[in-house]
Amino acid sequence: MPGSSCVIGCGLETRKEEPPFSQHCFPQPLWLLLILTYLIERLMMCRDMPAVNEWISFAPCGCSNPRASCRGRTTQPEEVGSMPGTELLNSKPRIVNPKKECQVDLVFTTDRYNPEEGEERLGKCSARVFFRNQKPRPAINVTCTRLIEKNKRQQEDYLLYKHMKQLKTPLDVVSIPDSHGHIDPSLRPIWDLAFLGGSYVMWEKTTQFLHYYMAQLSSVNQWKTNDDAIDFDYTVLLHEFSTQEIIPCRIHLVWYPGKPLKVKYHCQELQTPEASGTEEGSAVAPTELNNF
Amino acid sequence: MKLLLGTLYLLGILVPEELGYDGSLAQHRREVVEETVSQRRGLDAYSYTRYHPMEEIYQWMIQISEKYAEVVTQHFLGMTYETRPMYYLKISQPSNNPKKIIWMDCGIHAREWIAPAFCQWFVKEILQNYKDDSRIKKLLRNLDFYVLPVLNIDGYIYTWTTDRLWRKSRSSHNNGTCFGTDLNRNFNVSWCSIGASRNCQDITFCGTGPVSEPETKAVSSLIESKKDNIVCFLTMHSFGQLILTPYGYTKNKSSNHEELIQVGQKAANALKEKHGTNYRVGSSADILYATSGSSRDWARDIGIPFSYTFELRDNGTYGFVLPEAQIQATCEESMAAILSVLDDVYEKYWGVDSAGKAASSAVMLGLLFSFLSLL
Repeated sequence: MPGSSCVIGCGLETRKEEPPFSQHCFPQPLWLLLILTYLIERLMMCRDMPAVNEWISFAPCGCSNPRASCRGRTTQPEEVGSMPGTELLNSKPRIVNPKKECQVDLVFTTDRYNPEEGEERLGKCSARVFFRNQKPRPAINVTCTRLIEKNKRQQEDYLLYKHMKQLKTPLDVVSIPDSHGHIDPSLRPIWDLAFLGGSYVMWEKTTQFLHYYMAQLSSVNQWKTNDDAIDFDYTVLLHEFSTQEIIPCRIHLVWYPGKPLKVKYHCQELQTPEASGTEEGSAVAPTELNNF
Repeated sequence: MKLLLGTLYLLGILVPEELGYDGSLAQHRREVVEETVSQRRGLDAYSYTRYHPMEEIYQWMIQISEKYAEVVTQHFLGMTYETRPMYYLKISQPSNNPKKIIWMDCGIHAREWIAPAFCQWFVKEILQNYKDDSRIKKLLRNLDFYVLPVLNIDGYIYTWTTDRLWRKSRSSHNNGTCFGTDLNRNFNVSWCSIGASRNCQDITFCGTGPVSEPETKAVSSLIESKKDNIVCFLTMHSFGQLILTPYGYTKNKSSNHEELIQVGQKAANALKEKHGTNYRVGSSADILYATSGSSRDWARDIGIPFSYTFELRDNGTYGFVLPEAQIQATCEESMAAILSVLDDVYEKYWGVDSAGKAASSAVMLGLLFSFLSLL
């Protein structure tokens, strides 16, 4: 994934040819990637996390201010089980070289992205996140147990894919959610996929000081399903919390269940130079995703 | 006989006209009655679990102050940049005793729609319950509520018509090439020193000078004029689920910081009891980010003791675009938090202890004087 030539960092190009799916990319079922995005959002959070599909704001935790306790629950045992359905999250920020490196260890639970009523908590994960030189694209080492087994995952991916294939093109989408926060259930898969692509972009841009949310899917430029893959070209509005700025990002992703997700993007930055995923990140060496 | 009938008939036509009665007047009266009925019905039909455009909020304010005229008055605060009127509602139980003031404003940042929704909810809750609810009745004995449902009216309208994620006001700068000041960076407290920008293009543009914006001027003037009587300044934002105390412009703490944290934490606990939502409490510089020129910091520094910023739901899942389906729960829990703060404020100034202390010191003084007079 990171460092892989087929995924991030390619910049936005017109699609002239279909590059072969690289062997270096990990075949990732869609939902696992959703877990990853969830993880990314939890990076610096150091607090309990109720649900996978809930963005939680995260604040610079520990590495910029070593004495600051992490947001929310950290190491108060009496709070375990105090919030129904959540688990205590432990995080131990560790400064390796002050201001140069920041490492955060997290423990968290995961949920299905669109959980059904009364569904049990899913996986338990532990992760180590590493920022070097305050650069974005942290290195992530994550281990999870009790995730849904592979067959079920693949089944669900395929169901989602089938649903998406049935959507009528061209998609008549102005913005998701709308101004009042509604997402039509029939459009939910579009949001989910957009969110997935957006989370890659956010991972690429996140630093110990900059944290992102996906505020809105503002337009769908293209939704194609030739060659059986979902070919999705869209614009999201990212919200960066510490500056409160809204950053439009054009994202182009291609997905077929069982094959690696391909994401290319281009964000409109205001002050800083435009980011196309080509800058050096903290995750210099390709990191492996373990135990999936 | 026929002549009599004919005369009566003629009289029937002529006399009513002479008296000024004709169908149109009856029609007009009917229309007036219908309009009042529909206005009242309008308020009955007003949904507090939906977001409302500014026109509806203006109408709602009028209807509220008419329906609850015995306790509510609508007041003009000032004009916005685009020359729209700013109104606040004053809720005050008529009485002889002097009152202290609680100020609440919502929607200083245009995209934070849940905040104006909460202000309307708050007003509705107070007015629907002030006769029967002993807690609210008690508060109104010594407190007046001043509620500004939408502070940044121009910006709010802009989020409805043009850009849902707009934050600033709509003032024009640099020859009409750049728009909007961040009103919460425009107050006269360490203006533009940190966490704000001198560049109009930026989302935290502090304006051309402290209190340069008409909206800021309007709020500042009123608060300044009544500051000796204001005990609590509450400004409602989203998102983040935070109760913020001063300051944003420095890591230094206000003189009553411990107390503010205590009261804030109690409020967060009360909030959590409603629906399990977690709020964090702390100074803005500690748990959020550095800011200068904020209304909360300014209010504290002119002497208002209890000054808080509330960042309502959620935590980033929907952020500013909070679904209407969450309005009710958000407002219920936030109401619990605000009432908790108000209870603590009330206790501090008019509580049993403070009344007791006043009584006992009066007794002591009385005894002292009588003793001295015996000498």
